[in-house]
Amino acid sequence: MATYIAKRVGQSVLTLFLTITTVFVLLRLAPGDPAAAYAGPNPTTEDLERIRAQFGLDDSILVQYGTFLKGLVTGDLGTSFSFQAPALDVVLERLPYTITLAVSAIVVTALVAIPLGVWMARRADTAKEFGANLLTITGQSMPDFWSGIMLLTVFAVVVPVFPASGFTSWGGLVLPTLTIAILQIALISRMVRREMSTNMAAPYLTVARSRGVGERALTWRYAMTNSAIPVLTALGTRFAAMLNGVVVVEVVFAWPGVGSLVVRALETRDYPLIQATVLVTAALTVLVQLLIDLAYPLLDPRVRLAKTAKQKTAPAVAAPEGALA
Amino acid sequence: MTAPRTSREISRRSLFRLGGVVGAGLAFGPALAACAGPTGTPGPGTLTMALNRSLVSLDNKLNQFDAAVTVQRAVRQGLTRIGADLTPELVLAERFELTGDTQWTVQLRDGVVYSDGTPVTPQDVATALQMYQDVNGSFLASFFREWPTVEVLDERTFTMNTQLPEPNLDYLMANILITPAAANAPEELQSGVGSGPYVVTASNRGTGDYTLTRNENYWGEPAAVETVRVRFVPEESSRVVSMRSGEVDVIDTISPDSADQLAGVRDVTVERVDGLRISQLFYNFRKPADHPLANVKVRQALSLGIDGRALVDDVLVGSVTAAKGVVPEGLAGGTGNHEYTFDPRAARQMLAAEGIQDGDLELTMIWETGEFANDTSVMEAVVQMMGDIGVRSRLVQFQPGGDISLWRQGRAGDWDVLGNGFASPTGLALTMLQGMYGGTAEREATRDTYHGYVFPEIQQVITAAGTEVDPARREALLAQAQDAVWETWPCMWAFVPDAVLARRNRVGDLVLKPSNSFELSTTTLGRS
Repeated sequence: MATYIAKRVGQSVLTLFLTITTVFVLLRLAPGDPAAAYAGPNPTTEDLERIRAQFGLDDSILVQYGTFLKGLVTGDLGTSFSFQAPALDVVLERLPYTITLAVSAIVVTALVAIPLGVWMARRADTAKEFGANLLTITGQSMPDFWSGIMLLTVFAVVVPVFPASGFTSWGGLVLPTLTIAILQIALISRMVRREMSTNMAAPYLTVARSRGVGERALTWRYAMTNSAIPVLTALGTRFAAMLNGVVVVEVVFAWPGVGSLVVRALETRDYPLIQATVLVTAALTVLVQLLIDLAYPLLDPRVRLAKTAKQKTAPAVAAPEGALA
Repeated sequence: MTAPRTSREISRRSLFRLGGVVGAGLAFGPALAACAGPTGTPGPGTLTMALNRSLVSLDNKLNQFDAAVTVQRAVRQGLTRIGADLTPELVLAERFELTGDTQWTVQLRDGVVYSDGTPVTPQDVATALQMYQDVNGSFLASFFREWPTVEVLDERTFTMNTQLPEPNLDYLMANILITPAAANAPEELQSGVGSGPYVVTASNRGTGDYTLTRNENYWGEPAAVETVRVRFVPEESSRVVSMRSGEVDVIDTISPDSADQLAGVRDVTVERVDGLRISQLFYNFRKPADHPLANVKVRQALSLGIDGRALVDDVLVGSVTAAKGVVPEGLAGGTGNHEYTFDPRAARQMLAAEGIQDGDLELTMIWETGEFANDTSVMEAVVQMMGDIGVRSRLVQFQPGGDISLWRQGRAGDWDVLGNGFASPTGLALTMLQGMYGGTAEREATRDTYHGYVFPEIQQVITAAGTEVDPARREALLAQAQDAVWETWPCMWAFVPDAVLARRNRVGDLVLKPSNSFELSTTTLGRS
């Protein structure tokens, strides 16, 4: 286990390094002048040159990259042009809001989507399943900006029970969470239904049923256990994506997360802020993926994390031992 | 296979389910009710504003966007301020007089202090001027032809001296915010005390939220509202929804469509006033001599093809006024002597007289998204209008932060007409004339003129107006300069956008200024 974790941490560091390097280069190849965005209206050429010198933008890309790497080692990701404060601090100030929203949305998604998916699987090919399917397809088809605005109109204007914007009270979390969850519930529940249907039709379940195992145990202990890994992977991937900022929802609800921050940073060509945001969110994504991988053996004893030299990738699935043993 | 469930009897499982539902209701109900209770509606003594830009700081050395002015001035003050009638009003100074051609004498009010009780001193003014001068990319630098030096006469009195006469220093100093000298620096200040009617008691750079509380040590009349919450809500539709839901009291920077929508909402009033900005379709003056746009008659002809009334009424929904000259007539020194005319027949005739037949001329029009309200619709309408007089057009739209500044300097691509705007935060026509039409050959060498506009005879008149001490003579020179600029047809069309703000009716005594700001200290709160 320790070897596996060490190997994954090494991979993660390499992933982060490549990500941040790619972003560093692409930013400097993209159009736009940070000095012009930083300066007031109608700056002179001399003004722009002074600003470029102030931020080291007049150095070659290699020199800038060297400076960046040196700072990275010491945890200094530079000073945000627009905030005039350490870029990492600015990102970390926003991060709790993003994490709060992401956790809230994924918890609601899991609590609703998994039981719903199971319910649909158990009622396959019935009118009820058809109705639920219709609802999930509708949820999947609604763009989040539209559902967000609809929720705002209904619950903040027509029946004003929740705040319309920002995070001034816990009530402010409800509408953004619902907006994200509608789409995610639709996606995850359909996936759960598919996995459960496959597993519930599997021979091992028929044998178990013939041996008198109850329906509840068949569903939750047998079929759900075997469906858990893809479902957990999907939930983890969605959660990681949310940690990168749910831009549209953040903008609609004036949610002060990293998604809206990075949009602003891109508009002002705030290189240090963009780099810091990418680094932090990429690190979180890598961490979440690692935690998901580590959770696999807990969900399915057949899964063994790679332990031999031949098993390069993890997780590895051991030979089935027979579910009915 | 399980038996079909046909029985409707109450089973043990059903009871468990019912218990689960009731239990969940009991567990989560109070939490949901708590969430649903306070909707963020402001309290009786709190005024909540939602701004479209994040207040990165309460300083204005680098930039001064409209929305920030109200809040900045509530915490930090200048010697003067620009009033609603666009004339300077005394704030920290009780006397601000031109006492010589190159000298102003200023006396601070007796008893002006910062929120920590320390007095405002002439040295603070001298340091503030130096810091605004030293910061890289200062938005004010282009307004000051030269930075005045301060000579302290006593603890409240000082002179401000220049090499050349600066008859508008009382206007210019309205934008210099005074901070204790020891706490000032050549950068945007993130903290520190001010002398205004409010102090910052809480701020969150992450969310862009600020809480201002009445300054109990304020040297003047105490603010009427005890607490002001400033929130950052970048998306316009969210600001509008927040206003409709009663969550905020004041929102700024509203598009014509949203203003129309809010005008019909009970308890909401939309305030409008002519702004300090001119938005225009400016010609590229860096064209070679044989290019059609280098010909003033062609520029005039193209202008005749623009149906300004249709743009104002239909596209901009009455949220702007067609410009009556090369600067907004409301600015100090603006004349409003000229008018754009729509006459497509005359346009075609003039173009033909200059040898330009249908389809001969193709224009490239560039602009940055969000440069003015309904920008894309305006530009598309202009393309149609040009088509009606036989001129083909191509639109090139830039996203904010893109390369338009390089294009504007002629360093990235060629263009013919630029949709953009120019503001005069000083309230002076002179500021706009200097910035747009005061170009010299020397500045053009570094591409620092306004899109190549270099007319030495006009530049000389503008410079003379800027140094003329006699008010009547100065007015005459400004009028002369505006007439001369108009004759060069620098713009295809221009308009003055309204400053627009929406407030709930419980907010009283709010006087919206052309600078899209208002005095927080005199604003009152009534009952909803």
